[in-house]
Amino acid sequence: MASLKRSVGSDPLAANISSKVYVRSTKSGKVQKIVREVYLRQDIPCSSKLCQSCLKVTPRDAAGRQIPFVLSEAPAGTSVFPQGHYLVPDTNAFLSAMDLFEQSSAFYDVIVLQIVLEELRNRSLPLYNRLVGLTKSEDKRFYVFFNEFRLETHVAREEGESVNDRNDRAVRRAVAWYGEHLARTKAKKGPAVVMLTNDRDNLRKAKLEGIHACSLAEYVKQLKDGDRLLDMIPDTEDRDAIKEKRPNELLYPEYLTMSKMMTGVKSGLLHQGTFNVSPYNYLEGSIRVPAFPKSLIILGRENINRAVDGDLVVVEVLPRDQWKEPSTKVIEEQAITRNENPDAEGDDAVSERERKALQEEAKRTQSKTTEGHAQPTAKVVGVIKRNWRQYVGHIDQSSVIQSAQQGQKQDTVFIIPMDKKIPKIRLRTRQVAELLGKRILVTIDAWDRGSRHPVGHFIRSLGELETKAAETEALLLEYDVQYRPFPKTVLDCLPKEGHDWKVPESIDDPGWRGREDLRGLLICSIDPIGCQDIDDALHCRPLPNGNIEVGVHIADVSHFVKPNNAMDTEASVRGTTVYLVDKRIDMLPMLLGTDLCSLKPYVERYAFSVLWELTPDADIASMRFTKSVIKSREAFSYEQAQLRVDDISQQDELTSSIRALMALSKKLRQKRMDAGALSLSSPEVKIQMESETSDPIDVKTKEHLDTMSLVEEFMLLANISVARKIYEAFPQTAILRRHGAPPKTNFDELANQLRVKRGFELSIESSRALADSLDTCVDPNEPFFNTLIRVMATRCMMAAEYFCSGTQAYPEFRHYGLACEIYTHFTSPIRRYADLVAHRQLAAAIEYEAVGPGVRSRGRLEAVCKNINIRHRNAQMAGRASIAYYVGQALRGKTTEEDGFIMKIFSNGFVVLVPSFGIESLIRLRDLAEPEPEATFDAENYVLAMSGSKDLKVELFQKVRVKVMDRKDVTTGKRGVKMEFVKAY
Amino acid sequence: MPLDTSAYSLALLRVDGRRWNELRRIHAQIRTQAAADGSSYLEMGHTKVMCVVTGPSEPGPRRGTAGAGAAGASKAVAEVAVSVVVAGFSSVDRKKRGRNDKRNLELQSTIANALAASLHTHLFPHSVIQVSLHVLSQDGSLLAALINAATLACVDAGIPMTDYVVACTAGSTSTYAAGDESADPLLDLNHQEEQELPGLTVATLGESDRVAVLVCESRVQVGRLEGMLAVGVDGCKQVREILDRVVRDKGKRMVLEGTVAKGEGLEDMDLD
Repeated sequence: MASLKRSVGSDPLAANISSKVYVRSTKSGKVQKIVREVYLRQDIPCSSKLCQSCLKVTPRDAAGRQIPFVLSEAPAGTSVFPQGHYLVPDTNAFLSAMDLFEQSSAFYDVIVLQIVLEELRNRSLPLYNRLVGLTKSEDKRFYVFFNEFRLETHVAREEGESVNDRNDRAVRRAVAWYGEHLARTKAKKGPAVVMLTNDRDNLRKAKLEGIHACSLAEYVKQLKDGDRLLDMIPDTEDRDAIKEKRPNELLYPEYLTMSKMMTGVKSGLLHQGTFNVSPYNYLEGSIRVPAFPKSLIILGRENINRAVDGDLVVVEVLPRDQWKEPSTKVIEEQAITRNENPDAEGDDAVSERERKALQEEAKRTQSKTTEGHAQPTAKVVGVIKRNWRQYVGHIDQSSVIQSAQQGQKQDTVFIIPMDKKIPKIRLRTRQVAELLGKRILVTIDAWDRGSRHPVGHFIRSLGELETKAAETEALLLEYDVQYRPFPKTVLDCLPKEGHDWKVPESIDDPGWRGREDLRGLLICSIDPIGCQDIDDALHCRPLPNGNIEVGVHIADVSHFVKPNNAMDTEASVRGTTVYLVDKRIDMLPMLLGTDLCSLKPYVERYAFSVLWELTPDADIASMRFTKSVIKSREAFSYEQAQLRVDDISQQDELTSSIRALMALSKKLRQKRMDAGALSLSSPEVKIQMESETSDPIDVKTKEHLDTMSLVEEFMLLANISVARKIYEAFPQTAILRRHGAPPKTNFDELANQLRVKRGFELSIESSRALADSLDTCVDPNEPFFNTLIRVMATRCMMAAEYFCSGTQAYPEFRHYGLACEIYTHFTSPIRRYADLVAHRQLAAAIEYEAVGPGVRSRGRLEAVCKNINIRHRNAQMAGRASIAYYVGQALRGKTTEEDGFIMKIFSNGFVVLVPSFGIESLIRLRDLAEPEPEATFDAENYVLAMSGSKDLKVELFQKVRVKVMDRKDVTTGKRGVKMEFVKAY
Repeated sequence: MPLDTSAYSLALLRVDGRRWNELRRIHAQIRTQAAADGSSYLEMGHTKVMCVVTGPSEPGPRRGTAGAGAAGASKAVAEVAVSVVVAGFSSVDRKKRGRNDKRNLELQSTIANALAASLHTHLFPHSVIQVSLHVLSQDGSLLAALINAATLACVDAGIPMTDYVVACTAGSTSTYAAGDESADPLLDLNHQEEQELPGLTVATLGESDRVAVLVCESRVQVGRLEGMLAVGVDGCKQVREILDRVVRDKGKRMVLEGTVAKGEGLEDMDLD
């Protein structure tokens, strides 16, 4: 009988093969043991430019290219390592202080070990991605050394050794190897190899083994600008101390273990969802879970239990007797916890003042719970995933101890984030004096049970508060807008001719392949004044059969932005162009956006055209899509076009074609309205700037012109036509845009308010019914009333979103607001990435070009949709925030009286909307008179009656006169619009 | 958990520490079951298979009725009947596969066709060559390992054949969707790579460039296919070298042990 056994010695490769064994548990709870082969080798280079021996063995890829060596031959030194040094951080160093490594003043020549990269990936994917980004940037000189695959540095786990200890040993082994390896090079005084770790045990062992090792803080102190960087290291010692605290000093309940939460959620006893903080009351949050039709509310610090807005949390519903009504009171963190001492830790989580505020709340709700107003209330029992990001804020002046302002001692201060939903962040810094009055970027590190506020660390300063640069950057950071200049790799994708690029003259040029020559048509574009990125142009001409040919021509961006090159990737990350009042953050480089793609007048441009034959009644007789070359005759502004249309003396061909388009657009609009399209409203204003200093001087509400709806109608028509076509061609992967019907509950409040206050019925069965009932909400004495209701109705709507057609059933494609079955975005490829994808899909659908993977891969499209949905929303919010900031600036030093309307009412204040500025602001009772007037709040009838120091009765929808001025809040340092009540009408 | 395949570009190293053009360790043995006509055991990394060949022999009574249409053709040449049994313990999850599992059937017919192209089946009319394959452990490149093991067992069984049928897999370092122009081809995929990256299995006849099997079940840009195929064919040549060495070593040992006499014309063969 032959034996299959073989001796170890018989296999020449045995010494080079190891295996990696680990255990993982799957989502369904199964535990799997995975065994992987590991091939150990000796040709993994050290990548130091000092080393000659590694050069011979550097690997080559299939094309024969080598990866150039990364680590500098003369790395920077520190006070302890004057000869220069390479850094080898461990996993915790990256986990706790990734911002440090991204600094441009220090942290060059870093060796990232494979084991560290692996551990980091398991602990935090975003940090992993940031680190990989760093290793790819050429100037930072980060090198990934695959220590696990190198024979000399591979470490096998010993019996009884924990995984962490083994990994620490692997790091030390790699550091030691690097030291020995570099010592063999010819350099007389080679750089030191320094391990960075905060683990005391690891440091001790490193010292024993004779390896250079420092803790992060020790290392940073050796650097020149050490003090500044020191603030960016989170305080680990601090946290260790808290762990040792006695349990009765802990302020918050402990989180459940992950497995407990998972089983709880599975069995339906616990619920999982994203935690949202109410914009009016920082102690109230809500969470939407699938098990309940309405969101659960979470009241009070202890129930919120360290959850921060946006975290994915698990909640438990409280017993019925603890259910509460959502608060009708405004509670602002700054006002209530103003004089807290950041150094004091141990008191109760709920401070005296908070307790008082809550008590009043409780009394009020208690008296009413019998009426069944209470809503299911829950408490947070655990956090599945933190959604912490970097926050922009500033130091709370009142938390700074005066004497400490000069010293270099580390002080604890509070940071008040710009976003009101984020709690104050406790921060230790040595540069209080410097940072006071600046916008700064911070991040949250942890929130322990023993600390009332989360603990964070400083990242960088953006500049003085209220300077334009700092405020704009703060805004961009807060909304996660990518505003850095385009990298070189992106600019390399641009056409080499630059601004001299022209449509090739010869029709035989490959650029002309499949393009129609539409240069003879009378095409013009109509856009806002000063528009440089002209996406769309129109033409129309009568046909012999009595019908009318209409063409919409869209900039052919997909000709210049080829899928999957660096420019395309960058555009897909940016997702959209962001328009701020004084600034535009482009999705595509300027050259394309404002020149080569832009359908400028008098020059030839590539376009993607949608051509319809419309009957005089604006029904579509036929349509087709084609790539084309056009020459726009004129670029009008809305105002110019309107003047031309209105001026009867103008009878040239171009003007009459605009008139024909206008007539058609009115018919199209009527059809849409008949189908039930909603005309919604949001208060939009325009800032007038002084042309030279670009300081805001005036605020005006936007005017609506017929030419605007002309362009809008044809763009809608083009979008709908394209959506049909690409859905037909790619039923699984077409990129579309949907607008879900709002859930009925969203309108409960508004419908009730309208019924009680004005006796109007709001019917919401369909968009048609809603549109009709909104039309009936008219106050003959007050023309703005209808707009007010529309503004409020808009806020009840769902957000429209991009999606990939395979992810939804056809009935779900419906666009509620536009009342059409299918819709996409096609008409603004210069400023929206979704349109660019739609262009590629349409080009593939009309067989102009091959079907690319970006068009076909559903997973990829879903990821793209997810990103652009977020980007789109952020861009909108950034735009609005920018307008709000400039409205404040325009009002600076001025006081005006304006009319406003009450749109929300609380028991201790009310919100007034001033349409002429498009701003809303809260007026608190205590601002009305001193002392604060007594008030009775009739929640059923939305009436707030005051007595005592001021005799007044205000109710919802009431028109009031307010004084508008700007004011800088002393504690928050925020300049904002403030309203003062003048009189009620 | 280790890194995934996207880390390749960092240092041109694959998830298990290989370069793009390296095979895993291949270990093979032949004549592992003395009682069988031909047998072999083969490991490619952690993929472990064994093969037993019975025949050429007279077809059993049950087989005659199976294919009535093809009966005429199968009489003139020997039929190659392949059965693949995947052991329940071979993968991480214990999975039960039915007898008529579609993937299994496809594996069987692919291997049968590949062998039939190389075996001199016309020498054995009215007979069956039964190839039984058993998968003991799976870690990617299963089809390639099965083909290699079957070839070895056929050699052991002494069935005349034109050349070894040798197989290996090839892949590409980035996914289809990533659309990375500079993607490197990869040789011999393991399980993780098979899951995450596009790949194909190629089998050639010995050292020639004649492709006997080409199976690609994943989506890959056509531009990358040529590079992958070239790498795969090159890998097959390396595999042939290894298998050939196994056969020769075994032969030498058998001559030395006196199990068989030295064949004619092999007098000058160096047995040391």
